[in-house]
Amino acid sequence: MRRGALAQTLALTADLIRFRILASRRDWTSHTLYVVAGIASAILVIGIFGGTYLGVRALQLANATGLLGSIAEWAFLVYLFTDLFIAFGQALNDMYLSSDMPILLAMPIRAGGLVVAKFILGVVQNQVYVAVFLLPFVLGYLLALGAPWWAYLVSIAGLACFPAILYAVLATITILTLRVIPPRVAKEVLWVIGAAVPTAFWLFNFAAFAHINGDINSLHLPTAPAWLPSTWMGHLLTAAGAGDSSTAFDWLGFIALITLVACPIGLAIVSSGFVEGWSRSTTGRRGATMASGAPAKLSPVAAIVWKDVSSVLRSPQLWFNHIASLGFIGYLLVGHQVQSPILPLTIQLAMVQIGFVAVLDSLNPGMTALSLEHRSIWLLRNAPLTARQIFTAKIVGAYVQTALITTVAAILLGEGYRFSIYGTIVLVAFALLMSAAAICFGVAFDARFPSFDWENPNAINRGVRMIMPFLNGLFILTLCGMFLALTRVVFRGAWEGWLAVLVGLLWSALVVAWLFIRTSQEAVRNVEALEVG
Amino acid sequence: MPAPPLVVVDRLTKRFGDTTAVDGISFAVAPGEIFGFLGPNGAGKTTTIKILTGLLRPTSGRAAVGGYDITSHAVEAKRLFGYVPDEPALYPKLTANEFLNFVGDIYEMDKDRKQARIRELLALFELSADAGALLESYSHGMRQKVALCAALLHEPKIYFLDEPTVGLDPKSARLLKDIVRAVTRAGGAVMMSTHIMEIAESLCDRVAIIDHGQIAAIGSVPELRELRGRDTLEEVFLHLTGGFEDRQIAEIFREPARA
Repeated sequence: MRRGALAQTLALTADLIRFRILASRRDWTSHTLYVVAGIASAILVIGIFGGTYLGVRALQLANATGLLGSIAEWAFLVYLFTDLFIAFGQALNDMYLSSDMPILLAMPIRAGGLVVAKFILGVVQNQVYVAVFLLPFVLGYLLALGAPWWAYLVSIAGLACFPAILYAVLATITILTLRVIPPRVAKEVLWVIGAAVPTAFWLFNFAAFAHINGDINSLHLPTAPAWLPSTWMGHLLTAAGAGDSSTAFDWLGFIALITLVACPIGLAIVSSGFVEGWSRSTTGRRGATMASGAPAKLSPVAAIVWKDVSSVLRSPQLWFNHIASLGFIGYLLVGHQVQSPILPLTIQLAMVQIGFVAVLDSLNPGMTALSLEHRSIWLLRNAPLTARQIFTAKIVGAYVQTALITTVAAILLGEGYRFSIYGTIVLVAFALLMSAAAICFGVAFDARFPSFDWENPNAINRGVRMIMPFLNGLFILTLCGMFLALTRVVFRGAWEGWLAVLVGLLWSALVVAWLFIRTSQEAVRNVEALEVG
Repeated sequence: MPAPPLVVVDRLTKRFGDTTAVDGISFAVAPGEIFGFLGPNGAGKTTTIKILTGLLRPTSGRAAVGGYDITSHAVEAKRLFGYVPDEPALYPKLTANEFLNFVGDIYEMDKDRKQARIRELLALFELSADAGALLESYSHGMRQKVALCAALLHEPKIYFLDEPTVGLDPKSARLLKDIVRAVTRAGGAVMMSTHIMEIAESLCDRVAIIDHGQIAAIGSVPELRELRGRDTLEEVFLHLTGGFEDRQIAEIFREPARA
């Protein structure tokens, strides 16, 4: 007996979600890694919950009603733009770049049902991020304010709708973009838009923070844009926290209504042009002939570096975290004006800040260096290359990118902070060191857990892979940062403070050298043992 | 005294967990020989070739190429052969010209020789006009041709070709056969896997039929036909690896019952 459209869609949705869970579980056979990632995630959740609870309690005790009334919408806004990075790619991945599409489209499944199933799959995946980042915030906020029981239900119901609205809008933008821009270009460009739009938005809106002043009782954050779903969620949570059931339910009703309107409209647009759009996105047309950029003769290591750098330059989606890292400098410069009265700016603090930017920027290039070979890995493995040559090439290829970006970032920060030339040089040196540490660990991690079977390069670092090297980078940065603080105290005033900076820099260099020696040996062994099945 | 074999496989075994993909096989490929490797899907052909090319490590046994053990002297062995995998995954963001330059650099070819050879091969496979286009825009057959160019570029003596004719048009398939013959005439050795019996029958000096990781038969095509009392290599293959009987096929594809 044939199933109806709804039954077919529900069955397909259940299957897709089940397969995605199975794929995630089968991707990672190492139980240790799961345990470590699980603990790290738990620490993150507890940290967000505890931090929110303590922060909101402190604001409540200080009678900072203005801040209490405005932090929720900004917290959701922060999440919204963080999620924009993820969800844009996810919409593109699930709808267009997914490898199961040819099979599914050839099956007797209605296009509308397929789009709905893929949409729900995307929303469900997005709910995981909501559960990790937003749920502990919401619970901490409500608990600190002693909100009534219904406030939790209303807020969680709003949270359930929130990613659906976002995803519906992004999926619609994706398909409309594919109608205007040639698909092969669009695939790349959408990633850049996903990084550039939030960065620009942040820079413009964050500038407003620079002008806030006054005592904590009268302080409040600038009004977030009223048209954003994050602002609606902020209003809902603020009202729920204050025990204002009427306003909270009004906002929940509004959000639910928008979900019920936005999602069907978005899905209708996507469904109507999906098959044609997908077909266009996969139809190959010979690209324009390019002038050969291949140099005359290179050593094997240089040839791999050249190949990797060329591929990065031609793949705008790989610029994603470089754009985000440079954008972060903007946040630091604006944030500096707010933070300085609380935490005075020192060269050491600026070093830690640029170190964080370097760690962020190095994450993707480092931990995807080997995996980016994709299924072409056979070529390097059957070529007459030693494992050390491959490892060296991968380290250099990744470091060339991040060294360039972090140097620019450090110079921008030094200029923005009006540091002397020596101060800027110190920032550049520290950024390069932290970048080296993050790259080294990232490549070593990738050599231990390579992932050659991906649908697009931004999907390599999903899940557990995102957490481990990031935490490691933060650990190294914390280790160096603590020593920078220590030397500042010990060598106070010596050589006008430069001795403390130089000793701290030297210590950091030793830490990075130790890390490199320790991780590179094992990484080379892992490359040596790498099998291409 | 006969020249030493260029490829030696001695009691080679490869296990993946509980599954034995290759089970103690032994054979050798002599200079001037085209050695066909036949077998049903999952029989162990690709696994054997991947061990010989250093992509997989053997669980036990030995594999040597050009006199070098592929495990202990991998780099020396790898300099001597060219390999075309069953799925020609290439770097999508490089052009064919750039890709071949990259491969030439990896094999440390002399600059002038590399450029001349790239021009020669691109022309031979009729890719010159598209040499400047990104590989992501190539069809499967075109990528297969580029992979063949890459394997031929550094003029190795030994070739491992895994299903090399898949995706090739008849003209290119014929060209490949001619190249393979020319290589072996010059004293090289070719080991190729194929599912196309006609190619094995017309091209290979010797064939090995592998099934469930073990060699079921090895020898020249006439020897195998004679030994098994069959008229064609296809019949020998089906006899050894177990083909469906006509009756079984008719049973599976019987006419659907009318309602």
